[in-house]
Amino acid sequence: MSLRPYLAYAKKIFLNRSAYRFDNVMGIISTCLQFFIFWEIYKALYGTSTDIDGITMPMVTTNFILSMGLGAIFSPDDYFLPSKIWDGSIATEFLRPISFKGRMIAENVGNALFNLLFRFLPCLIIALFTVGVNAPASPAMLALFVLSAVLGFGVLWTISFAVQMTAFWLINIWSLITIKNVLINVLSGSMIPLWFMPRELTAILNFMPFSSVYFTPVQIYLGQLSFEEIMLKCGIQLAWIIVIYLLGDILWRKGQKKLIVQGG
Amino acid sequence: MSFIEVKNVSKTFKVSRRRAGAIGAAANFFVPKFEKKEAVKNISFNIEKGEAVGFIGPNGAGKSTTVKMLSGILHPNSGEIKVGGYIPYKQRKAYVGKIGVVFGQKSQLQWDLPVIDSFELLKAIYSVPDDVYRKNLERFTEMLDMSGFIGQPVRQLSLGQRMRADIVAALLHSPEIVFFDEPTIGVDVVGKETIRAFIRELNRQDGVTMIFTTHDMRDIEKTCRRLIIINEGEKIYDGALSALREMYGTTRRLEVAFSEKVDLPGFENVTVENLENNKKRFTFENNKVQINELMNRILGEYNVRDINISEPDIETIIQKIYTKKEAEI
Repeated sequence: MSLRPYLAYAKKIFLNRSAYRFDNVMGIISTCLQFFIFWEIYKALYGTSTDIDGITMPMVTTNFILSMGLGAIFSPDDYFLPSKIWDGSIATEFLRPISFKGRMIAENVGNALFNLLFRFLPCLIIALFTVGVNAPASPAMLALFVLSAVLGFGVLWTISFAVQMTAFWLINIWSLITIKNVLINVLSGSMIPLWFMPRELTAILNFMPFSSVYFTPVQIYLGQLSFEEIMLKCGIQLAWIIVIYLLGDILWRKGQKKLIVQGG
Repeated sequence: MSFIEVKNVSKTFKVSRRRAGAIGAAANFFVPKFEKKEAVKNISFNIEKGEAVGFIGPNGAGKSTTVKMLSGILHPNSGEIKVGGYIPYKQRKAYVGKIGVVFGQKSQLQWDLPVIDSFELLKAIYSVPDDVYRKNLERFTEMLDMSGFIGQPVRQLSLGQRMRADIVAALLHSPEIVFFDEPTIGVDVVGKETIRAFIRELNRQDGVTMIFTTHDMRDIEKTCRRLIIINEGEKIYDGALSALREMYGTTRRLEVAFSEKVDLPGFENVTVENLENNKKRFTFENNKVQINELMNRILGEYNVRDINISEPDIETIIQKIYTKKEAEI
């Protein structure tokens, strides 16, 4: 199997994204805006206190810039399959002599690369010069952060993949995707850092797929986890990737037989 | 063994039946109604390598569904399909590299990118060798006169330009079989002619096997010798285009302009209509009425200014077949 077709797809989505320059400028602004709104809210909540339960404002700031930054990078296209089923273009997609799932990953990776360069980096630079961001705990932790972030992307991608597969039956799955995204936003710590969740809930969340998307990488970056804990957390990420992928794959196999091509 | 074998293939869709209006929609929410629609019913045919087959039928007859099953997109509910040794819907990835498909209603090009970028992408997807790609691209762009817009984004192309680009896109990897699903839809007369000439050349010169669905019978006349007609999911004709004409196109129409007002006796098996200016129209079946006898009588007994005989065009014949089918049900 050659990788070239998939690289070509990754490149294509990168070029597609570059086609609208104004949209890209606005995209940078909206990512920064989102970050600063949350930052302002938490600054107001902190008031004059330096820390809450040992969590300092700079840690919260770092959490937001990293988790929102990662969120901006990852953003898998939840409508990749549903939109193609909805408008019938799934027909031409199935005519390509390549793996549809492989292509889905390739496009998401191309997209992530674009977002890394044109969303995350500009916002990180702006944040560095305005509010300041904590440095990583150590170079080793930075490397483990990257590893865990990639695994987090894997978890996020497989969740999206599995949800999208239901479109074979349901065609329009906007509400399902919205529910999924709300769950991820709330339970992953990208809106409310999981430090501030009730202790009992955190114990459960630690083993859920959601928290491993953003919160695990952030904790590693800040040096809050021991090496053993990091290995355990990355193991959990990997386990979720496998479980959710297999689930999605069953739907994928069954769904193809159910396929309906809309619109002539 | 034929190149393309289709045996007793059926495809059923479950469609939801909507009641009209707001109240109907509410009722549907609580008690959805589904019914089975048989898009394709027990169809069989064989196609040999190098053949060009026209595939026609009224809207909703099951043409596109059949093409989609042949190209590995849809799974049939029952029956067997084999194309060049592959089972399309089971060996999709390996199979689709050998075929090309043009959907007139669905573009395969990248909306935001210049045409040439879409071609480059396809080259990578199909792993087309550089020399083959260059050769095909040069030849096709020249034949379809595309050099003027190959650098423009697809969203800025006219429909005719887009269609030509789409045709080239389906052929860059030199497929052995090409399915054209309404490739001339919405294209003007000149554009249609260019596309037909191109398709004909592809079949005659390169020996590409093809199936061509369309609503424009002239497309078929110019490109295919064989014709398959389906209606309501069933195959109702399979044979040479010329044979169709002999079978159904027996009606002849004779229009005679007389020099003066005439009173004609009745002729057996001929309907006579009076037109203005002493013109009369005789309609008859050429297997029931001897045409030379009829004309001898007219020309021998009356003064004739002008005479004109016509056979029905293929459109009329097809129309006759479609409506006849409906009348039987």
